[in-house]
Amino acid sequence: MGKYIIKRLLHGLFSVICVVLIVMVLIYSLLDRSKIFAGDPNYNHTASNNRVTYEQSRYEAFGYLDYVPYSDYINSLVKSGELTDADRASVAKIGNTPEKDSELAAKYIQQFTDYYNSKGYTVTRLDADLKRNGQIRDGGQPVLFASRDIPLYMRAIKYFTTMFQFDNIHHVSDDIDIGERKLTFTLRDPVYNPTGTEKVFAPAIMGNGTLHKYLLYFDGRFPFIHQNFLTINLGESYTVNRGVDVFTTMTATQGSYVLSTMTFPTGNVLDRADDLHTATYIQNSRDATDINRQRFVDDYTNVLTFKNGMSKIGYSFVIGIFSVIMAYILGLPIGLLMARFKEGILDKIGTVYIMFIIAVPSLAYIFLFKAIGGSVFHLPTLFNMDSGDKLMYILPIVSLALPSIANLMKWMRRYMIDQMNSDYVKFARSGGLSEMEIFTKHIWKNALIPIVHGIPGSVIFAMTGAIITERIYSVPGAGNLLTQAINKYDNGVIVGVTLFYAVLSVVSIILGDVFMSMVDPRISFTDKAR
Amino acid sequence: MDKELNIKYNMTDEELFAPVDHNELESEKITAPRYSYWRSVFRVFFHHRINIIILALFLFIIIFAYVYPTIIHYDSEVNPFINLMNPESKHLSPAEAMNMFGKNIHWILGAGASGESTFDSIWYGSRISISLAFICAAINMTVGVFIGAIWGFSKKVDIFMTEVYNIVGNVPLILIISVMAMLFTPSFWTMVFAMTIIGWLGIAYFIRTQVIIIRDREYNLASRCLGTSTVKIALKNILPFMTSVIVTMLATELPSYISYEVFLAYIGMGMSEMSLGRLIYSAEPAMVTPGWEMEFWSPVAIASIITVVLYVVGQNLGDASDPRTHM
Repeated sequence: MGKYIIKRLLHGLFSVICVVLIVMVLIYSLLDRSKIFAGDPNYNHTASNNRVTYEQSRYEAFGYLDYVPYSDYINSLVKSGELTDADRASVAKIGNTPEKDSELAAKYIQQFTDYYNSKGYTVTRLDADLKRNGQIRDGGQPVLFASRDIPLYMRAIKYFTTMFQFDNIHHVSDDIDIGERKLTFTLRDPVYNPTGTEKVFAPAIMGNGTLHKYLLYFDGRFPFIHQNFLTINLGESYTVNRGVDVFTTMTATQGSYVLSTMTFPTGNVLDRADDLHTATYIQNSRDATDINRQRFVDDYTNVLTFKNGMSKIGYSFVIGIFSVIMAYILGLPIGLLMARFKEGILDKIGTVYIMFIIAVPSLAYIFLFKAIGGSVFHLPTLFNMDSGDKLMYILPIVSLALPSIANLMKWMRRYMIDQMNSDYVKFARSGGLSEMEIFTKHIWKNALIPIVHGIPGSVIFAMTGAIITERIYSVPGAGNLLTQAINKYDNGVIVGVTLFYAVLSVVSIILGDVFMSMVDPRISFTDKAR
Repeated sequence: MDKELNIKYNMTDEELFAPVDHNELESEKITAPRYSYWRSVFRVFFHHRINIIILALFLFIIIFAYVYPTIIHYDSEVNPFINLMNPESKHLSPAEAMNMFGKNIHWILGAGASGESTFDSIWYGSRISISLAFICAAINMTVGVFIGAIWGFSKKVDIFMTEVYNIVGNVPLILIISVMAMLFTPSFWTMVFAMTIIGWLGIAYFIRTQVIIIRDREYNLASRCLGTSTVKIALKNILPFMTSVIVTMLATELPSYISYEVFLAYIGMGMSEMSLGRLIYSAEPAMVTPGWEMEFWSPVAIASIITVVLYVVGQNLGDASDPRTHM
C-alpha cells in the first residue's frame, strides 16, 4: 500500500509539473507581455524614456528578462575597484545623444556595450526626449541599458526550485554585520515577556541572520503553533495584491485592524495591531524611520497585522465545508429514499429537482435563491466581514449546497438501483429477508462505496471556493482569485493558483482511492491481491 | 374435382396440386415484423404526449430565435431597436413601454438600459447562444466520439491518452478560455475555439469507458472469433449500443454550453456579441433597482427555459433511442 501511494504521488507530481508548464507556455509565451501593465497604477505616471526603463524593471521583477541599467554596471565597476569614486559621476553621465558623450563616458559606454553584447544581451540606448525649446521632457532623460530574455525553460526551473524556501542563518547577506548568527530556543517568548520580568511560559525558536525573527512560536490563533522554517512561494502577485506571494494572499487574514495594547521590543507601549511574531528582516529598516527606532531594537521590523476577518481560504473553507456537510446529510438519504420508493412521489419530485439543477444555468438558480432568501426569509444577502453576523453565512452555504445535493441524489439513486437489481439482493429476498433489512444491511453499504471516493475531493475543494456564489454574495473568499488574476493579467497569481488547484486535485484523487480501499476490503491496491 | 377452382385460377388439376419446390435457403429466413430502428425511436418518443408539448416549445424557441430577428431586421445598433438619445425611453416596465410606444409585441418585456426592446434583444441573444451551443456540441461530440472509440479499442492509445487526460484535466478550463479571449478578440468563433479545444476530452473519456465495457462482452468475442473486422464490430456491434448513450450525453452537453457561456459572461470573460450571457451580465445592476428587475430576470428566465427544453428533449430522445424500450 505504501509503495503504491508513493508511486501515485510521484505520478501526481509529474502531472502537476506538466500542468504548470502548460499554463506557463500559455501565459508567458502566447500572451502579449505588455498586458501586465493593464492594472498597474504606477505605469500611467511614467512617461517617455522613464516608461521604457520602468517596463524593463518590471519585466525583470516578474522573470521575463535580465535587465542591467548602465548605472548598475558603473556601480559594480566602482565596487570592484576598476573605477574610482571620483570618476563615477562623469562616467555615469550619458549625453543627450551619443555625439554629446564626454570622452571618458563614451569609452565606458563602448565597454558596456561590448561586454553585454558578447553575453547575448541587447543593448538599448534611448536619446533624450526634448521639448521644442530644447529642454528635456519629464522622464525623458537619455537611458542606456542591456536586457536579455529569459527562456521559458529557465523560468520554469527557477519557479520550481525557489518554490520551497528554507530559512537559515545565512539568509541575511554575509557582508552585513548582524551580530552572532544563531538559532536560540527559549522558554520565555519575548513577545509575551517584553520586559524580561514576567514569567510567562511560551516556548519559541528565534533566529538571528534568518529572514524571520521567530521560526517557531505559539499564539492564540488556529493552529496555535506556527513555523517559519519553510515558506511556500507560489509566485509573486503584481496587480491583485502587489508584491505579495499568492500563498500569503490566500492565507493572510483580512478585514479591519484589531488594536490591542502591546509592548514593543524597546519597551514602548502602544495601541497597535502589529503581530510581532511575523517580523522579517529588512536591511537598515530600523534607522530608516523614527517610528521603527522607537519600537524595535533590530532590523526585524517588517510585521504583519492582526485583522478581524478570516483569510480568503478561511472564508471559502467555512462556507464550503458546511455546504459539503449539508449536501451529504441531505443528498444521500433523499437519494436512498428515491431508490427505495422508485416511481413514487418523492422520486418524481427529486428527479424534477435534479433536472432543474442540471439544466438551469447555475447563475439563474443562485440569483433566484438569493431573491427568495432575501425577500421571504429576510436573510442578509451580502457578506460583511465586520458585522460578525452568523446569519450571513446561511445563503452562501445553501446556494453552494444546492448543486451538490442534486448530484449526490442522482448518483446515490443510480448506485442503489444498480445494486437492487443484482443477484445477491434477489438471493437475500428469496432467503426471506425483509426489504428493510436488505436495504439497511446490504444495498446501501455497497452503494456507498463509489460515493466515498468523492468525499476527500469535496472536502479539499471546499477550500478553493466557488466563483459564482462568492461573487453573488460578495464573499471575500479564494474562489475569485483566479478570475481576478485573469482579468488583471496577474500572471504570477495565475500560475500559483493553477499549481495550487492541480496539487489539490491530485491529492484528492489519491485520498479518494485510499478511502475507498479502506471502506471496501475487496478493493486493494497492492500487487499481490490483483 | 371442383371445376370452379380450375376456372377461377385457370389451372388444371395437376398444376393445382403440384408439390412446391423445397428451397433450403428460403427456409433459413426468419420472418418477423418489419423493424426500422429510427421509426421505432420516433414511435416511442411521440408515444408520450408530454414530448409533443416540449417539442412544440422547442420549435417555438427555434422560430423566435432564428426567424423572428430576421423578420424584424434586428440590428442592435439601429433605431427603433435602440433609443439611446431619448432618456425617457430607458428602463421601462412593460406597461410604461406600451404606453410610450404603443401596444406591440416588442414591448411586452419592457425596455432596457439603452432604450431597446428587451424582448427583441433576448431573442437575438438566444440565437447566438443556441448557435454556440449547437456548434460546440457538434464539434465536441464528433471529435470526442471518434477519438473515444479509438481510445477504447487500442490499448497503446489508451495508455497515452489516459496520461494526457489526467494532465490536461487539471488545467482550469476558465484559464484556457480566458487566455484565448486575451490572445484573440473575444468573438463568437474564439469562444467556439476555446470551448472545443479541450472540451472533447471529457466526452472522449466517457465514450472510451463505454467502449471498454461493451468491447469485451461475449457476443463481441464471438463475433471476433468468427472473423468480423474491427471496423465492422465498431460500427455494427457497438455503435447501436452507444446511440442512446450519445444522445443522452448530448442532452446534458447542449444546455451546459449555454450555462457556461452565461457563467463566463457573468465573470466578465464572455464574447463581444450580445449573447444571453452578455445580456444577463449587463443587466445585473438593474436587478437590485426597484422597477428594473424585469430586464435582468427575463433573459435569465429565457435562458433557463431554453436549457430545460433542450435537456428534456435530449433525455427523452435518449430514452427512446435505447432499443430495449422499443418492445
